Amino acid sequence: MQPQASRVSLSSGELSYYAAGEGRPVVYLHPAGGVRWTKVQDELAGSFKLLVPVMPGFDGTPAHAPVKSMRALAALAAEFIDKVVGAPCDLIGCSFGGHLAAWLAAERPALVDHLVLECPAGFRPRGHGGRPPDPEELKKLLFLHPEKLPPETKTPDIEAANRRMLPRYGYSPETDEELLARIPSIDKLTLILHGTADRMIPKESVQLLKSRLPHAYLVYIWDAAHAIEVDQPERMLAVLMSFLQRSEGFMVNWGTLAINPG
Amino acid sequence: MKFSFFHLMPYTHLELESRDWPFPNRYFDPAKASVLYRSYVESMIHAESCGFDWVGCNEHHFSPYGMMANPNLIGGALAYSTKHAKIAITGNLVPLNNPIRIAEEYAMLDCMTGGRLVAGLMRGIPHEYLAYNIPPGESWERQREAVQLILKAWTEPEPFGWEGKHFQYRQVSIWPKPMQKPHPPLVISASNADSAKFAAEMRATMGMVLLADLPSGKECIRVYREAARAGGWEPVPENILVGMHTCIAETDAEARRHLEQGLKYFDQVLMGGLQVSQRIVLQKTRYFESDESRDRWKSRLDKRRTLTLDEQIERGTVLCGSPETVVAQIRRIHAELGHGVFNFTVKVGTLPDDVIRRGMELFRDRVLPHVRDL
Repeated sequence: MQPQASRVSLSSGELSYYAAGEGRPVVYLHPAGGVRWTKVQDELAGSFKLLVPVMPGFDGTPAHAPVKSMRALAALAAEFIDKVVGAPCDLIGCSFGGHLAAWLAAERPALVDHLVLECPAGFRPRGHGGRPPDPEELKKLLFLHPEKLPPETKTPDIEAANRRMLPRYGYSPETDEELLARIPSIDKLTLILHGTADRMIPKESVQLLKSRLPHAYLVYIWDAAHAIEVDQPERMLAVLMSFLQRSEGFMVNWGTLAINPG
Repeated sequence: MKFSFFHLMPYTHLELESRDWPFPNRYFDPAKASVLYRSYVESMIHAESCGFDWVGCNEHHFSPYGMMANPNLIGGALAYSTKHAKIAITGNLVPLNNPIRIAEEYAMLDCMTGGRLVAGLMRGIPHEYLAYNIPPGESWERQREAVQLILKAWTEPEPFGWEGKHFQYRQVSIWPKPMQKPHPPLVISASNADSAKFAAEMRATMGMVLLADLPSGKECIRVYREAARAGGWEPVPENILVGMHTCIAETDAEARRHLEQGLKYFDQVLMGGLQVSQRIVLQKTRYFESDESRDRWKSRLDKRRTLTLDEQIERGTVLCGSPETVVAQIRRIHAELGHGVFNFTVKVGTLPDDVIRRGMELFRDRVLPHVRDL
């Protein structure tokens, strides 16, 4: 499904976003590498109205002068939901976007229905995991199955510019203590996804989150590194779609996993 | 050196003739099996008082080869009748079963025994895949995924879900969890290079049985050690388990006579149908990851089958003789392999239970004192 590129004017500047599909709105907050349209986005757009804002400074878009922290970026994402969706929506955040989604859910809970934190950054115990500066090392940590990676559409300049945005927003390899203290207040039904071979975000991060969130489910995706969407899109979708469509009922085996259905 | 008393629990009331697979169960007499089970379990309990450090059994299906469709039941029978010995289930056949059930039952056994479980996570020999209708070509994938899932079930601090290729669970939170932390020690079979690498990767004790010769065992140990080092750890001798048919009697001649008789039944009856099914599985599927592994496995079994008992003793692949002879054999094999756990398969075919009992006492009185400190 081809996403539609649009822009919306927000208080600190213009924000680019992609939209695709019809139905209940789902907002997807992208990882530090910027927007990558994968099978996961395609499938989501097949059942929902998928909106993917491009955070300022990523993918060649201009930065917004006053937005200089994760908290401020979360406020901007909330403004995007207010203006473009105009109602509570399901919120998915991947890695850097997961950190952001957690901030948004803590700050503006009324805007969030289901919350999905996909290998979320921001909760790493000291000394565990991390994002290596070397692009080749980074690739090894991101993908267990690099052969599944779709052709890269971003230029090296854009990739470098995306990386430069991380310090601007106060991205740190370690736990965001301020946010962590607020995690227990997030009462949204939350799905946490983690690849069993993710060495960038260690399992201790998601275990910590799971222990603090009052209504969370943690699901490990077998044979996936950090980029679950590339390594195992079908497995991720099996869990994600069921969660978004059935809430707690995603725990029930609806027969789609049966060996001999019918 | 630690010693393990392993029981295959064979069915011993059959005529000496080979049959196809599956072995028709019209030949199974439950009343005779009832007597056998009791006798076997009593031997295993007695093993503790004879100085054995581990008492173990494993899982087999559809054959008189071993009557333990679920060895965890035997573990339950041993839990309160033994005090100190490790209960070594070597092991459950991981790719064939529900991994969560394995995690639960092992956790139960670990709690019931006060933390004495040794948890074998085996891939299973080829014919078991026919019994449980599992594609043999998926054996490695299933083994790898299931072992990781079992470890998660034992160690995760919070409920979790698992979305895998072969196993999917939306939420797992087993009760009980194992007593030993982070989890019971693992044993994984390592009789070829692929499995030796996997055992090292999982930081498990490597288990080797039915060796064709000592050099091939040595080679597996080399691969295991090398893979362990690459994974950042150094195995100790207790991480290497070597298993052999064992018969100890007053004299060499007596031990040979008994073992020869038992091996005849083992090779002709117990192994008979299995060889047919294994040939079918190995010819038609990708049970082994490489042709080399498959050929080596076949040749190991073929070699073992064609060797006389004397040749097997000479090669150091069985323990057989008077206590003094067995002491010398243990020393020789240990010098070659450097292992820390010796696993004795004592019920070889129809080897009589009273001979086994006497052998256990000879082990306690005249073997163990000379080899304990190896």
